[in-house]
Amino acid sequence: MIGVGKKRRALFALLTGVSVLAVGAIYADLQIGYYTSSNLGSVAQPAPPHLQNDGVYSVAAYPLYAPQLASGVGRQDTAAYCNTCHTPSYITMQPPLPAAAWEAEVTKMGKVYGAQIPTDAQTRIIKYLQTHYTPETRKR
Amino acid sequence: MLAHNESHMEHKSNAYTRRSLLKTLGIGAGTLALSHFAGANAFAQQLPATAKRLPSFTGPGPNPYWNSVGPMATYPQKAPLVLLTDRPVQLETPRNYFLNAITPNEAFFVRWHLESIPNEVDLSSWRLHVEGNVNKPLALSFSDLLHKFKPITLAAVNQCSGNSRSRFGPRVPGGQWGNGAMGCARWTGVHFRELLDMAGVKSGSVQVQMEGLERGKGPHGMPSYEFKKSLDLSNPVLDESIVAYSMNGAPLPTLNGFPVRLIVPGYFATYWVKCLTDVRLLDKPNENFWMNPAYQVPDTPRGDTTPADVKAGKVKMVPIARMPVRSFIISPDGTTKIPAGLPVTVRGTSFSGFGRVVKVEFSESARGVWREAKLGEDLGPYAFRTWECAWTPEKPGKYDLAVRATDEKGSVQPDEGVWNPGGYLWNKIERQEVTVGESA
Repeated sequence: MIGVGKKRRALFALLTGVSVLAVGAIYADLQIGYYTSSNLGSVAQPAPPHLQNDGVYSVAAYPLYAPQLASGVGRQDTAAYCNTCHTPSYITMQPPLPAAAWEAEVTKMGKVYGAQIPTDAQTRIIKYLQTHYTPETRKR
Repeated sequence: MLAHNESHMEHKSNAYTRRSLLKTLGIGAGTLALSHFAGANAFAQQLPATAKRLPSFTGPGPNPYWNSVGPMATYPQKAPLVLLTDRPVQLETPRNYFLNAITPNEAFFVRWHLESIPNEVDLSSWRLHVEGNVNKPLALSFSDLLHKFKPITLAAVNQCSGNSRSRFGPRVPGGQWGNGAMGCARWTGVHFRELLDMAGVKSGSVQVQMEGLERGKGPHGMPSYEFKKSLDLSNPVLDESIVAYSMNGAPLPTLNGFPVRLIVPGYFATYWVKCLTDVRLLDKPNENFWMNPAYQVPDTPRGDTTPADVKAGKVKMVPIARMPVRSFIISPDGTTKIPAGLPVTVRGTSFSGFGRVVKVEFSESARGVWREAKLGEDLGPYAFRTWECAWTPEKPGKYDLAVRATDEKGSVQPDEGVWNPGGYLWNKIERQEVTVGESA
């Protein structure tokens, strides 16, 4: 929560100074004109495609937005094997999961989905995920 | 964090602060007006802060936000949507789009299971096959679908089975959707039954299986390679199902299943196979991974169970089917403070997979004093039904707005969550905290 330091009330100042204004001016408490930098505007709009009147219907390549995995032992195996079917966004999207849940997920990828991961690499991947992505260990 | 500490890019243009304004007016410090303030330091602390960003993940507790927390991403034929995953593509519709009963194609959520999805389809060679246990296998072109059948249009909600999965406690692995894995479109196409009849379903057929162009990098025959779904031939939902070639009067976006997808009104989206190419009549039920164990729910009231019962092997599971009744508050969304005494129109949407929403109730507090909301246009039993309710918060403070819907089967949204290992069937009463400020 962003704390608001001090309750602010609209303020009306009746100005009676003869040298300034002859009538009362009303002033309400306000802030205007503050700007800040942002990176949200850095995505350019796509240009309209050139289309032919044949039977081919196509779209542009799907963009990748793969996040960085936490650095540490086992990251390379994790990136290499998991990336066959999906990018690391499938890992970083998850809430922090208990160590047993990560073991179950990696095991399922092999046994159920058919991912071909050597046993030693699988062990390293599980260890890596447990080291960086559990409630106790997840940093980012 | 304060903006002026955070960035030297800070730009203060045309900034009429209190002091500069007073100075302009020729009033010196120490006037009656300034004596109301604690001093220059207190004033400086109230410079506008740079907007805070959402965290990059939520948990281990439930996601408290309406949508999931990923960044906005742009994809072909799409407006900026909330990114869950980039390959396979999963994108969530931002909250504001649900003010209308029809979700625009460019904002419609996207969920693929496998990564090899089409960038290109050549309709001169594309065919929809109806095959298997039939008398006359069909291979229909897109033009056949347009011209050989009477078109039918139906407005229906498409909702991911795992919509709102990030609300679960304890959290479960899977796509961490907020509430935006849903949308409602007007689908136009061909009666699914007409296709089956044209092919002539042979006796002894028990299921119809659907498969599309979605493929993965895994070994052939494994769920990481292909996605297949089936429905029992005896299921009455087949009488209402459509092979849709049009979505809101336009071609389907490729990410939503161009050239055609199956529409299964009232059912969760897992059956609405995208880029549909193969309809297969089966003489025995299919039990591939995507039917079992994936997309299975406990055979209990509301599909509710506990991690302990699952672990003990006590839970019988069945394929997920119809969508329980839900409703949502879309506006106000809690990001804007409301002055006390200002009449506000609270607006939202609702739907049920079991037929029409007949009542939506609104409450301004956790005490649950419910008032009936006014329903929007009726676009059909499986469409979004918008609602609105006039509300005037008289006093400053925090209000815990709530909404609940009742469908024509008499089902009312409960105030309890649900838990199952797949993260499916969430339909708890939705709440929205709103801050009402002083206005005098």
